[in-house]
Amino acid sequence: MKILLAEDTKDLNRALCAVLNHEGYDVDPAFDGEEVIEHIERDSYDCIVLDIMMPKKDGIQALKEIREKNIITPVIMLTAKSEVDDRVAGLDAGADDYLTKPFAMKELLARVRALTRRKAEYGEGDLKFNDVTLNAQTFELASENSVRLSVKEFELMQLLIINRDHSVSAEYILGNVWSREPDARPDTVWLYISYLKRKLRAVASETQIAGDENNGYILSVKR
Amino acid sequence: MENTLNQSIYGDHKPALEKTMNQILMHILEIRKQMEASLGMDPVEHCLGRIKSEESMREKCRRKNLPETTESALGSIYDAIGLRIVCAFVDDVYTIRDYIVDSGRYEIINEKDYIRRAKPNGYRSYHMILKADGQYYAEIQLRTISMDTWAALEHHLKYKKKVSGRQELIVSELKRCADELASTDLSMQTIRDMILEYNNGEDD
Repeated sequence: MKILLAEDTKDLNRALCAVLNHEGYDVDPAFDGEEVIEHIERDSYDCIVLDIMMPKKDGIQALKEIREKNIITPVIMLTAKSEVDDRVAGLDAGADDYLTKPFAMKELLARVRALTRRKAEYGEGDLKFNDVTLNAQTFELASENSVRLSVKEFELMQLLIINRDHSVSAEYILGNVWSREPDARPDTVWLYISYLKRKLRAVASETQIAGDENNGYILSVKR
Repeated sequence: MENTLNQSIYGDHKPALEKTMNQILMHILEIRKQMEASLGMDPVEHCLGRIKSEESMREKCRRKNLPETTESALGSIYDAIGLRIVCAFVDDVYTIRDYIVDSGRYEIINEKDYIRRAKPNGYRSYHMILKADGQYYAEIQLRTISMDTWAALEHHLKYKKKVSGRQELIVSELKRCADELASTDLSMQTIRDMILEYNNGEDD
């Protein structure tokens, strides 16, 4: 697991690197915002720890540039205790979490674990419901037969399987699966539900999608 | 002339086989006309019939350890007459199948639905074996344009993939392509259903 650590106070930088190394992380140190960008352009990271107050280019500016490059690596900001505005600016610029100085080392380690775990542990394994398997790597929907789903169909099916215990409203589906597409409408959801219904039948599954636009949708088993 | 006919594995049945094939083709044409009336479109993209060639029939007899006789060709092997009906949409495959069965004109010997359960390599098609006029067997393959496309492309690669050294990858990728095409077929069918439903609503 590779971490980029940006902190301009040399002693603190060295201490943080030592602890992270000890925990088994591979750490690259940076001492100002420009170095951060140089590292980002050269290498990939699993997590970035970013101090806000840094020479040459501050942490917020560096973070904005990172996000402009479409790099979605989790970022933890280090901020001074009193600066609420800094924390807000950091989160708004695309940070995933922040820690106020001074902080306990074990809290930093816990936050790094929490942020890196998210990518590794969620959304990679196969999802199962009744007689259907949804492969998160290949987007294959399989029962007796199999088909390959499109990205949106996959995300919708994934959402229905994760929320198997209750029905999911069209509004919630729009907000999750079509969050970046303002043109998507409840009609879009309805059409994609229709695609999935047909594809469930085509793989000879006993699984159905119950519900409608007004009451939400839920997976059920044919009986 | 008479000599050549006598040498044929089909004996002197070839004209009768052709006549039977043409009757089935005419029947399919009738079914298309009837369906066009209700769907507003001809459900069939193309439809082909063939009498199995002399060489393939003899080769098939040898493969199945059968004597190369007219009895084998017409009694033990069922695809002397072969028809392929290629439809635009998946549902039309099943509608045409129902028309053929319900017509009562044929004895249905066997049906295999490789659409509901695709073959492990990804092949999809609906196969029927029927007997016409109480005499000749015919094999009918019904499939969609994309299933036909896949089968044609796979056929081109079949002999090449064995020598490439990456057979496993090629086999799994061909299966993936088949599953993606099948998925698109189902999406197009869903869109047609939506349009038909909307149009019916307008009529009310």
